[in-house]
Amino acid sequence: MGHAATRARAGTVPRRRPAMSGAPVTSPADATSGARRRRRIAARTRLDFWFDAVLLLGYTVAYSYGFTGIAIHEWLGIGLGLALLIHLTLHWDWVLRETRRLFSPRGHDKGIWLVNLALLLAMTLCVVSGILISRVALPQVGFSLLGGPFWSRLHVLTAEVTLGLVPVHVAVRWRWIVSVGRRLLTRRGGGRPR
Amino acid sequence: MRFLRHLAAACLVVAVVVVLGLAWNHFAASTLVGTVPGRPQTAIMRPESGPGGPHGPKVIDRGTFDLGLNSMLEPVNWPYLRHTVVIEAAVIAAVVIIDVGRRRSRRAARAAQLAEPPSGDGDGPDRYRQEP
Repeated sequence: MGHAATRARAGTVPRRRPAMSGAPVTSPADATSGARRRRRIAARTRLDFWFDAVLLLGYTVAYSYGFTGIAIHEWLGIGLGLALLIHLTLHWDWVLRETRRLFSPRGHDKGIWLVNLALLLAMTLCVVSGILISRVALPQVGFSLLGGPFWSRLHVLTAEVTLGLVPVHVAVRWRWIVSVGRRLLTRRGGGRPR
Repeated sequence: MRFLRHLAAACLVVAVVVVLGLAWNHFAASTLVGTVPGRPQTAIMRPESGPGGPHGPKVIDRGTFDLGLNSMLEPVNWPYLRHTVVIEAAVIAAVVIIDVGRRRSRRAARAAQLAEPPSGDGDGPDRYRQEP
């Protein structure tokens, strides 16, 4: 959920220029069609929304260690690590853009950039330390890695940090979430636009 | 192609963080002190019916973490999930409230700025009045 501003703009498919048929877009039918087109949600926005929703759900379940048990916790954690890599890849443009803007006086997303950086560090270390102290998942596939008290402590510490940062990471884009979520839900209710 | 390029860049960043973690372990592992907190080692018990129950409490889990695949179906484990959800919801609500409040105050300040008379030495049209 990195670049909401861009996605909020990209979320709505821009109105295409009228076809060169000579007919202006003024009739009620055409106006409705134009409004529908404006409301259409780009495939990328839909992917971002649902992928991030699944990530949040997966993280919430994986964090609840006492709920899942160790096997699901470990496999879910490994899956989350891969999913987070894809999440970072999908938002790499935002990372580059905001990093470039970081030193310009007009950069307005510095706080969000810092939160995201801290989350990247914490989440990566959490997943890596979790893999290193794995007791079920990796031994099941024939690996036995060196763990140790350092990695156990790091895993617990970073997990607690992520529990504070993940909701902040989500909440700073709450307008985008509400806007896209509402459009996705109303779209279902109002029939499938072209 | 673009996706793969971005994936490679993301992998590189993650690799740097992993190397930092390994270096931390190698050079300054003692900076991360403390015991590993976890679930209590005492047994978690569920009363069969009411406090104490007719047959006494039933031991669900002895704190070994090896809960098995069906642990999610045990109602006694649901509070762990609820706890996580409550923390997340509380943080999200706090951030949203702060954001809304900040935007509202900024909007009010802007409106007040627009509403106040233009600053100057005089007070309204009288400032143009010539001295006798």
